[in-house]
Amino acid sequence: MSMQSLDSRRTVILVFLILTVLFELTTYEASVQRPAGERFFQMYILGANHKAANYYPQNDTDIRVGSVLRWYLGITNNMGSAQFVEVQVKLANQTTQSPDDLKALESPAPAITDFAEVMLKNGTWEFPFVWSVENASMSGGSAHILTLEIDNQTYSVSSWAGANGYNFRLIFELWTWQPESNTFGFGWASNGERHAAWLQVWFNMTNVSPIPMAE
Amino acid sequence: MKHPHRLLGMIGVFLLLTVVASQQVVYSQFEGTLQPGFGPAFLALRHAESAGATADEVSALVAQLNSALALNREALTLTAPQDAEKRTALLAQADQILSTVTDQATELATTSFQRAHTNQLLWYVWSLLAAALGTILYIFAVSLRRRYWIKRTLEMKVTPR
Repeated sequence: MSMQSLDSRRTVILVFLILTVLFELTTYEASVQRPAGERFFQMYILGANHKAANYYPQNDTDIRVGSVLRWYLGITNNMGSAQFVEVQVKLANQTTQSPDDLKALESPAPAITDFAEVMLKNGTWEFPFVWSVENASMSGGSAHILTLEIDNQTYSVSSWAGANGYNFRLIFELWTWQPESNTFGFGWASNGERHAAWLQVWFNMTNVSPIPMAE
Repeated sequence: MKHPHRLLGMIGVFLLLTVVASQQVVYSQFEGTLQPGFGPAFLALRHAESAGATADEVSALVAQLNSALALNREALTLTAPQDAEKRTALLAQADQILSTVTDQATELATTSFQRAHTNQLLWYVWSLLAAALGTILYIFAVSLRRRYWIKRTLEMKVTPR
């Protein structure tokens, strides 16, 4: 065997080895799952016309008993996997403590009802939220909301009061399924921290008489 | 003990951390309204997804889970005594769906895992073949260059100065 053919054989083997390492490394790099960026949920609420407007009948924040309000609640899942989520609806007034974003603590107001859904990765869940105050009373200068109707279901709200009928609000909190505890927990965990998403819409009820039929 | 205050400090920090950690997650008051099968079914779905199940496969299971949720919600609205039978039937239907989803998701996790591994192995084989093809191309290019070089050498004209 001549020196030249031995050299060329060595070169061919070297080229093959270099190419093999190059291609195999590329394949390995492509198959390794890199940690994703920030994982989060987005939450939004739209008015009756599916826009960020017309949240109240005749754009009047002072609603009446029987006024039907139609909103659309939406959640976008950017958590990088399927998620089991719950939206808790709470009625509150001005003095009720709001959810705490920094500590990821929910509002202490009792939840009226909830909506749950399993969401796909990168999916959006939007659902209509139709509600009205079914029964309210005025006493001692405060309006008391007694019952709410949400999606044709009546809920007793144990008499929430607003001074002179002002500054009521509906709070929507996002809760997510915690597989380790097998239950819903407020907010979600990402990069070792807990985060929270919630919304609120304020309204007044200075007149607790039912809405006239003609309106 | 040499440093009792240090020990007390450590116990204090531990207790504080325990209190802070216990405050971080608050659980839903509606958890009792869900059928117990939801947790295992969702967990099985997550396993299937992380094992490499396709979006279509996961989507089909998610749709089934949401139909079970709708049945669960409908059952909860039936509070009148005369609706008890219907309520039980709806919850049984939801349980049936959850059981099916759990089984399908577990099976999907296994097949997805195997499929992902087969695909990965195939990619490594393809890489090896690509390296072999690249080497053949290299040999061909070298031989072509050599042939061209010999041809040029033979065609070379020697002109006297």
